[in-house]
Amino acid sequence: MSQATATTTTAPEPKLWGGGHSPFNVSYGKMMTWFFLLSDAFTFGALLIAYGTTRFFSAVWPDANQVFKSFPFLEGMDLPLLFVSLMTFILIMSSVTMVLAVHAGHYGDKKNVAKWLLWTIVGGICFLSCQAWEWTHLHHELGWWGSFTDANTPLSTFQGFFDIKRDGLALVSASGQRSTHDFFNYFFTITGFHGCHVLSGVIFNILILVNTVNGVYERRGHYEMVEKIGLYWHFVDLVWVFVFTCFYLL
Amino acid sequence: MSHHNENSIQHLYEGDQSKLYSGVLQHHSDVNSPESKSQVKKIWKVFWILLAITLVEVVLGMFFSHEMPKVIVAILFLALTLLKAGYIVAVFMHLGDEVKNFIVTVLIPLVLFVWFIIAFLADGGFWLHMNQSFR
Repeated sequence: MSQATATTTTAPEPKLWGGGHSPFNVSYGKMMTWFFLLSDAFTFGALLIAYGTTRFFSAVWPDANQVFKSFPFLEGMDLPLLFVSLMTFILIMSSVTMVLAVHAGHYGDKKNVAKWLLWTIVGGICFLSCQAWEWTHLHHELGWWGSFTDANTPLSTFQGFFDIKRDGLALVSASGQRSTHDFFNYFFTITGFHGCHVLSGVIFNILILVNTVNGVYERRGHYEMVEKIGLYWHFVDLVWVFVFTCFYLL
Repeated sequence: MSHHNENSIQHLYEGDQSKLYSGVLQHHSDVNSPESKSQVKKIWKVFWILLAITLVEVVLGMFFSHEMPKVIVAILFLALTLLKAGYIVAVFMHLGDEVKNFIVTVLIPLVLFVWFIIAFLADGGFWLHMNQSFR
């Protein structure tokens, strides 16, 4: 007995990075969520940089104020960027409701976790609905994956996507069709990949809402799962901030 | 309802939850406590900041970006975007409340983007130059 006590007192200080500790003071699940998000950031980054490269080697590029100027039920009106601003607002708002759910979770406040998760799900579904409308609208304007490939495409079908005053009709008729094709390929790929993230985020949120209401986290003693899904949800908002800049502003 | 029960198997998987928010918060306390309220206030403050930055971006994009030099527009939009990203990561994702070493570990790999962006965009620009010069 005394020997055992002696051993513990003379044992060297355990190393911080030698295992059995949490040097980052963060749980395994949360750290791995961060590393997953880091890898996802590189996937989105690669897509956006590919888009940028294509844009840089194109002589002309569709003008966001011309492509995105429609608003549901206000067809025919010239309202550049208004609809996408609404989408951005919805996503930022849903990020706030998510962080409020995480906050309630820190205090074990089951009722508020459920309430704010529900609002987050509503926000996510609103965003997806907006995206569905925008995709449908652009599809009606002939934009899609692999569209505008035929060299005989008449100028009238795509010149509306350009700022003719700035770029000049000659340049648009020479290189516009090819860049319209590239533009829509990237647009649908990147917003589609982002939309898949929103969709899976909504599904995750529904799952943790069910768990919260059933008292799973209350019995577990903490709401860390809400925090981890929250990280994912904020990341999706974060990606949208960059997609918004790259496609709609620049 | 104790969630620091050392015998709980969950403890092994999800670590010590007593140090959420880097120990700033005693998360057993009341949700109506002053600390809790000040944090909720901070969340809403960041929301208004994000909304304001977005509005500035939209107004800039709608009315002014076409009349300004392209480089200045790009730098402005990039700066505003990074500012928004910073607020989301630091406050909403609570990275600002983590240990400094962890913040650095998450952010350092992102430095690669600086090289990616410069290299790929320069390549795109050069390709356009070659294409237009030697047709």
